[in-house]
Amino acid sequence: MREHREAMEEISVREATREDVEEAANLVVRMKKLNNEFDPLFTVVDDAPERAQSYLSKSLGSKSALVLVAVKGKRVVGVLRAEVRERNFYKPTVGGNITDFYILPEHRRKALGNTMLERASKALQKLGAQVVTAEFPARNEIAVKFYSKRNFRALTNIYAESRE
Amino acid sequence: MPRAKAGEEASRKAVRYSAFYGGKVATTPKVPIRSLDDFSIWYTPGVAAVSKMIQRDVELSFEYTNRWNSIAIITDGSRVLGLGKIGPEAALPVMEGKSLIYKYLGGVDAFPLPIRVADVEKFVETVSSLEPALGGINLEDTESPKCFEILERLRGQMNIPVWHDDQQGTAGVILAAIYNSLELTEREIGETRITLLGSGAANISAVRLLGEAGADKKKMIVVDSKGILHPEREDMDQLLLRNRWKYEVALATNGGRVRGGLEEALKGADVLVAAAAPGPHLVKKREVAGMARRAIVFLLANPVPEMWPSDAIAAGAEIVATGRSDFPNQVNNSILFPAIFRGALDVRARTITDGMVIAAAREIARFAKDKGLTPKRIIPTMLDWEVYPRVAATVGVKAQEEGEARKRASKLELGRHAREIIERSRKTLRILLEKRIIPPPPR
Repeated sequence: MREHREAMEEISVREATREDVEEAANLVVRMKKLNNEFDPLFTVVDDAPERAQSYLSKSLGSKSALVLVAVKGKRVVGVLRAEVRERNFYKPTVGGNITDFYILPEHRRKALGNTMLERASKALQKLGAQVVTAEFPARNEIAVKFYSKRNFRALTNIYAESRE
Repeated sequence: MPRAKAGEEASRKAVRYSAFYGGKVATTPKVPIRSLDDFSIWYTPGVAAVSKMIQRDVELSFEYTNRWNSIAIITDGSRVLGLGKIGPEAALPVMEGKSLIYKYLGGVDAFPLPIRVADVEKFVETVSSLEPALGGINLEDTESPKCFEILERLRGQMNIPVWHDDQQGTAGVILAAIYNSLELTEREIGETRITLLGSGAANISAVRLLGEAGADKKKMIVVDSKGILHPEREDMDQLLLRNRWKYEVALATNGGRVRGGLEEALKGADVLVAAAAPGPHLVKKREVAGMARRAIVFLLANPVPEMWPSDAIAAGAEIVATGRSDFPNQVNNSILFPAIFRGALDVRARTITDGMVIAAAREIARFAKDKGLTPKRIIPTMLDWEVYPRVAATVGVKAQEEGEARKRASKLELGRHAREIIERSRKTLRILLEKRIIPPPPR
C-alpha cells in the first residue's frame, strides 16, 4: 500500500531548504560519480558526501546561488544547483551557470529535467542572468545530449593533461 | 556410477572420441552423383542457369539452394559454457556439439562458426555479411552485456532470424517450465512473485519474456552479486552506461522496492529462477524456506546447481528443476532451439519474435501436460523427439500470424514437414551407424 500511495504522489519542484540538504547532497555525489564514469580526472574524493552537504548549505545562504529540488512526497528525487557569475570581458555581462544537475534514474524520461531546467532558467533570469550556461565534463555524453537537445551549444573548452 | 565419476568418464571419452572421429559434423551431398556427367548439372555449366535465376530474384536462393535449411552457430568464444573466455578455436568443439543437436533433433544444417573479432562493431559487420548464405543465425556463448547489443543490432539489420540461445533459448525454456509449475501449484502467472538470481543473458532475457507472457514485472525481483536490483541502487548510473539492459530491468522490476540480498528477495516468493553461478551453496536452505507455500525452485547453473535439489526439497520446495539431465526436470535450451529454428526455417521467417518464443514455450508445456504432469516431470526431455515437430509447427504458424513469414503453410502441413525432416535426419544417422560408415567408438 505504501508504494502504491507513493506512486500516486506528484513530483513538485521547489527551492531547496536546509532539510533537503542531506538527500540533495547524496544526489550531487551520485552525479560526481557519474562524471567519473566518463573521465578518470573526475575521480570522486572519499569525503564527497560531507563536501557536498557543506557546498549546498553555503549555496542556500548565498544570494548569487540557486538550489532547486524535485520532491516526491518527502523524498528528494532531483537536484539542480546554479550560480550567477559576472562575465568581466564579455556581453552579456551576467551569466547563470548550472553547476550540478541530477535526477534519480526512475524519475528520468518524464520531462522532469525540462521542468527543472525551465524553472532554473527563470530563477536565474530574475537574479540578473542574461545567458544560461551549464558546466559538466566534456566526456559526459548524457549531459551533452541533454543540453544539445535543448539548443545549448558548446561555449568554453577546458583541456587537461594529467601530470600524475 | 557416482555423478562426479560419470562426469570424469564423459570428459575422458570426449577427448578420445573427438580425436578418433576428427570432429562431430561434416557436410554430406544430398543429390545423386551417378557419374561425372552429373557434375555438369550440379556444378558448371548447369549451375549457371540456377545462379542467373537467383540473380533476378534473390528470394529464390531459399528454393534452389540449401539456404532454406542452413544456419550458422556463431561465437567469439568470449563466454563458453562455464569455461569463460577461451577463444574461438577452443569454442569450436562446443559449437560442433550444438550443430549435432540441431541436425539430430531439428533436422537443421547448422554450421559451427567461431569467429575472431575484436569488438561489437566487427562482430556485427562480420555476421551480417553472412546473410546471403543462410536462413538464420544462432549466436552462442558471447559475453554479457556485449551479447545484448550484438543481438539487438543484428536483429535490426538482418532479414533472417537472429537468435541468441543463451538469452532467448534459456528464457523460453524457463517460461515453458514455469507454465507447468504454475499449473501444478495452482497459480496465475500475473499474480506470481518471481525472484531471479543472476543478471546475465538468461535472466535479463527471462524478465522480458516473462513480462511479455503476462507476468507482472513489478512482482519480479532480480538479485545479482551486489544484492537486490532496484532503481535507487548506487550503481544505477554505471549500469546505464555499461549495461543498459540490466538498467532497464532495475527500473521495471521490484515494485515493492525490496532491498537486501537473496534472503529478502525470496521472502514470500513463489518462484526462484537461479541462473547465476555454480553452487552448491549459493542458495541456502533457510532462504528457500522463506518462500511461499508450494515453492517452485529452478537451479540452472552447470555443472553444479546453485544448491542441491534435495536441499531445496528439504527446505520446502515442491517443484525443483536444474540444468542437468541426471536430476528430474532438466530446464535446458536443447528442448527449444532445434524446434524454434525448424519452425522458423520452414516458413522462411525474417525474425524470431517474443511471440514465437512464447508460443513455443506454451507448446512445450502442453506436450509435457499431455504426457502427464507431476512435480518431477514438468518439461519434456530430449528423448521426447515428437515434441520438436509439434513445437516447430506452432512456431511456423505464429510467424505467419505475426507477419514474419515469407512462406505460408497450415499447422498440419508444417507439422508433417518438420516430422519428415527430423525423421530423415535420425534415420540417416541410424543407417550410417548400421552400415558402419560411422564406425563405433574405439574401446
